[in-house]
Amino acid sequence: MKLRILIADDHEVVRRGLCALLQAHEGWEICAEAKDGREAIEKAGQLKPDIVILDVGMPNLNGLAATRQLTQHDPQCKVIVLTITDSDQVIREALDAGARGFVLKSDAARDLVSAVEALQLNRMFFTPRVNDMVLAGFLDKGHNGSNSEPPRLPKLTAREREVIQLLAEGKSSKEVACVLNLSTKTAETHRSNIMRKLGFHSIRDLVVYAVKNNIIQVQVPTQYQNPGSAA
Amino acid sequence: MTVRILVVDDHPVVRHGLRTLLGGNPNWEIVDEAADGIEAVAKAANLKPDVVVLDITMPNMSGLEACRLIRKKAPASEILIVTQHDSPHMMREAMEAGARGYVVKSNASRDLLAAVEAVSQHLPFTTLNV
Repeated sequence: MKLRILIADDHEVVRRGLCALLQAHEGWEICAEAKDGREAIEKAGQLKPDIVILDVGMPNLNGLAATRQLTQHDPQCKVIVLTITDSDQVIREALDAGARGFVLKSDAARDLVSAVEALQLNRMFFTPRVNDMVLAGFLDKGHNGSNSEPPRLPKLTAREREVIQLLAEGKSSKEVACVLNLSTKTAETHRSNIMRKLGFHSIRDLVVYAVKNNIIQVQVPTQYQNPGSAA
Repeated sequence: MTVRILVVDDHPVVRHGLRTLLGGNPNWEIVDEAADGIEAVAKAANLKPDVVVLDITMPNMSGLEACRLIRKKAPASEILIVTQHDSPHMMREAMEAGARGYVVKSNASRDLLAAVEAVSQHLPFTTLNV
């Protein structure tokens, strides 16, 4: 029986590349593609793929939030997160969300097949940097107790994270309500709860928070980027 | 007559995707790939492709700088920018640098084939969402 894989990335050219890469492997098939996290969750619910590959930076619902929802619904769900950055925070959030694989987009052609093979054998697959971080965290806990714990972000629900992304993408409470199939009043309640929990007074604060915490990703024109950075 | 294409992007998985999309036309041939601007300029000068499909944001040398140099070293090659930057400002910079076409990556599946077709005939092709 073939291994069924669901791919989610907002760029079709990337999905084409991922499909070409994975379909070349005997015994694997792409059972569905999705262009954002919301569509990925919907299709995963219908098709029950063996492995889900999620880009982090997607509109409407990003890959980390989608991972969290998929693994909450089914703790056995095998998710590989694809990302353009392996910053500490993205790694921590991916692990916390329940991802079992972590692959940098720049290394996908080299690592993705190995990652899928690992998850197929019920193992995990991480980049060397993620492995180092997991090991460092494990050793720190062993030696220092909780002193080395990173500062905790305010506890937000999965729904609140979804609302933050949509608001930061410029949607009004009414539009948020429409996307999430809620009443406008409920969307406004989520919005005010978020502002209270985070201590914010403006949408500007929320957008900055969403960018800093990789809830949304912004395009930076080349002339403002550090030399050598890639996107 | 076969249109010879050089594909330039720093992400191999995107190059795979571009190859897959462009492979649908039997009259087009991917002559080579490059992973940054420096490699793109060298390969364009050497291979003289009909079309260079060029990303902007790349390490070592950006696509805009590569575009200017390719115009000098392979003036017959037309340059099609394929980028994530959905920005009129960036598009203007690219056209000023000598590109003949500009396609946003999120529209690549819709626009790429038409854009390559156009620039291979020395016609402009630009689209933006914003």
